[in-house]
Amino acid sequence: MKKTWNLIAAAALLGVIGAVAVFSALPVSAKEVKLLNASYDPTRELYSEYNAAFAKHWKEKTGDTVTIQQSHGGSGKQARSVIDGLQADVVTLALAYDVDAIAEKARLLSTDWQKRLPHNSAPYTSTIVFLVRKGNPKGIKDWNDLVKPGVSIIPANPKTSGAARWTYLAAWGYVLKNGGDEAKAKDFVTKFYKNVPVWDTGARGATTTFVQREIGDVLVGWENEAFLAIKEYGADKFEIVVPSISILAEPPVAVVDKFAKRRGTETVAKAYLEYLYSDEGQEIAGKNFYRPRSEKVAAKYSNQFTRLNLFTIDEVFGGWQKAQKAHFADGGSFDQIQRANR
Amino acid sequence: MTIKSRWTTKAGVVTAICGLASGAIGQVTNVPTAPAGSSASAVNQLQSTQAEQAELIQKLLGRLEQLEKSKAEDAQRTQATEKAHQVEVQKLQGQIKELESKVGSLEAGRVVPEIAVTPTDGPTTKELDQKIRVVERNTELAAEATEARAKDAPRLSVGANGFTLSSADTNFVLRLRGMLQADSRTFFDDSPYIEGNSGFLIRRARIIFEGTVFRDFDFLLNPDFAGNSTTLVDAWLNYRYQPSLQLRVGKMKGPVGLENLQADAVGSFNERSLANDLVPSRNVGVQLMGDIAGGVASYAVGVYNESGDYRNSGNSDFNDNKELGARLFLQPFKKSSVKGLKGLGFGVGGSWADLTFSVNGLPNTTGGTQPGYVTTGQQQFFAYLNTVQADGTHWRFSPQGYYYWGPFGLLGEYIISDQGVYNTATLARVNLRNTAWQVGVQWVLTGEDATYNGVTPKHPFDPRVGNWGAWQLVGRVSQLTIDDAAFTGNAFSNPDFSASEALSWSVGLNWWLNKNIRVLTSFSYTTFDGGGQVNPANALSLVPPATVTSQEEKVFFTRIQLAF
Repeated sequence: MKKTWNLIAAAALLGVIGAVAVFSALPVSAKEVKLLNASYDPTRELYSEYNAAFAKHWKEKTGDTVTIQQSHGGSGKQARSVIDGLQADVVTLALAYDVDAIAEKARLLSTDWQKRLPHNSAPYTSTIVFLVRKGNPKGIKDWNDLVKPGVSIIPANPKTSGAARWTYLAAWGYVLKNGGDEAKAKDFVTKFYKNVPVWDTGARGATTTFVQREIGDVLVGWENEAFLAIKEYGADKFEIVVPSISILAEPPVAVVDKFAKRRGTETVAKAYLEYLYSDEGQEIAGKNFYRPRSEKVAAKYSNQFTRLNLFTIDEVFGGWQKAQKAHFADGGSFDQIQRANR
Repeated sequence: MTIKSRWTTKAGVVTAICGLASGAIGQVTNVPTAPAGSSASAVNQLQSTQAEQAELIQKLLGRLEQLEKSKAEDAQRTQATEKAHQVEVQKLQGQIKELESKVGSLEAGRVVPEIAVTPTDGPTTKELDQKIRVVERNTELAAEATEARAKDAPRLSVGANGFTLSSADTNFVLRLRGMLQADSRTFFDDSPYIEGNSGFLIRRARIIFEGTVFRDFDFLLNPDFAGNSTTLVDAWLNYRYQPSLQLRVGKMKGPVGLENLQADAVGSFNERSLANDLVPSRNVGVQLMGDIAGGVASYAVGVYNESGDYRNSGNSDFNDNKELGARLFLQPFKKSSVKGLKGLGFGVGGSWADLTFSVNGLPNTTGGTQPGYVTTGQQQFFAYLNTVQADGTHWRFSPQGYYYWGPFGLLGEYIISDQGVYNTATLARVNLRNTAWQVGVQWVLTGEDATYNGVTPKHPFDPRVGNWGAWQLVGRVSQLTIDDAAFTGNAFSNPDFSASEALSWSVGLNWWLNKNIRVLTSFSYTTFDGGGQVNPANALSLVPPATVTSQEEKVFFTRIQLAF
């Protein structure tokens, strides 16, 4: 009798679990879909325009209404928020290491996420340039001008900002690419950060410091941010200085699988990121001063972007994992530089 | 000493020296005349002396001129220095004024005017300007950082739902809640053999700890201090994979009865209806549960320790007497725009067990000495013989539903409890099919919405501003019928003492002063079919259930309740 009871109980439990599984697997009504995009600081304008375009595209394609909510902050900080539970369907961050962190620490997506989309899941690129005040009063032309005494430079804090990490690595790589060794690079970057009077947590904050608060002689950061500052505040106030060499920044995008699955938005989230590679997505990227991957669209914007020597993080630093460990991890080079400058 | 006074002093010195010289000459003039030989010598000596004195005077005058010249040069230098200082001070004052003007403009949010600087003082002004800007920006960033840290700081909130401490991301939450119910029961026209059952009592006194750890794990600990000893009412851990898929382990309310599942703090009456006698109160076990589509459908299914009607599972129970329970409840219009249907809910609950010689599988003993069923006044009106045990299958089935629309509420359920029983003395065995039903209605006189989760007063009690909370009129009728087979041949219950049926009518008026404090008043009238054969010569008839069923039960309840 007890065996019969056990069988009945097990069958009933299995039945309910199956029913729940079926219920859970049923597609969420796609009539109204909400996506949350956790992005880094200076992409507000890009995604504001892109979201509207994608919503229109999706409506035309499926008849469904998609609303994309944005969350912006320092790239590292955004990654931390997602790890801590910010249920973003997609992340569009400043550097691959931050997406890796989400994959490895929280296991919210697979570690091979970069293979899912073309160009290592980086639909557009950018680089690090200088923005100076009109007339370039300090005569800044290249990286070595930034370490001179009396030059006040405004980057963001590499501990919290993706742009700032690219900046740090660009400065370091400048020395290596000009025949210097690691010690010289460290000395150079130490002098570089000695000239920093304000530590903003994100690239947009650094722009505010330089442009609105009128602090410093040069803003060192995203090319797109520099263009945006000129667009917003006028070419009569600022000018861009392109250094002799800089780093190729590849901001990545990825679907946060587990959150998207939980929220029933996997299909839309995937399509949202794929559409970044479309002609319209690339056009919007170029229009917002990001370098498009599409050769066709890139050609259209070729006059906008100065050609310069760009090195990759893989080429000079062996990839983000190594760069992170050597430079930005606790006790890494950046911490040592900070201590030296105190 | 001023320059003028110094010159005055010098003139005095010259005058004094000149006077000294002329005095000396006068003295020579007034010297008495000496003899001729000695006179010439004396004259020569005098002339020599006069020449030395004249030379001395010249030296002194020369020295005086040097002093005067030196002092004049000193004065000129001093004047130049002072003048330079004055120019510098004026320049600095000008810069300070410009900076003050600029800071004022910054504070007022105006466009900062360009500071007119000359090429020579430019760097100093710019440096000062940058320093001020850097200080201001760093102050701004520090404030932002403080604000960000505050967002990440743990949060403490106090409100109608209790005291809550949570991490900023709400992944960790501890909520402290509590409930105190101070009741009175006044029985009218009751049996002389049970007089004295009227009185005051603390019905529930609970400090409830509930919360969340690691975002998905919920817990609840609910001890009750109201009885003679502390009892653990609820204690469970719940893993919430998603709202539609949760796994709960521990002691929890059983899934069968609709009224039973309603929170103790929001029920319409002091005590639940007769229908509640046929469902398990709390189960110990494991339960899979969830709300699908935001509560449009809810389900629960679980395996529990055996639990008799109106009884809690034992916290420990090491035998094979387990019970399977399940419930499905639908609110198909919960998300619709049709207001008149949003509050409609219906479903079915049930349980199944195959028990072997179990006392715990029989009903609760509350209100009597033998397992049995109780009235709304918590007096036992039915009791099994003391040789009876639960044995065989025990299943329950309960269709149930409610409907709420504005201030109106209706709740009803029907329950069948089919209980296998065995008389160890007579070896008789039978399945008794006891049934019960109840219908409760309510109307919130002050217009608030009636809901399954209680009433939230629109205007919490505050007589100083003319707010009197919410008033709720409630009514209920319920009936419990015992299977006739229980009395056949006195096999399982004594028909002289136990009633075969109880019918209860209740009306009440509840005053919700606010979300946390409520005053309940109600009157219940219960009639019985059978039993009540009190015989002073038979001691067994002088205790419940005979003394209870010997007359109708009329009881007036009051309650003052604090729940948060």
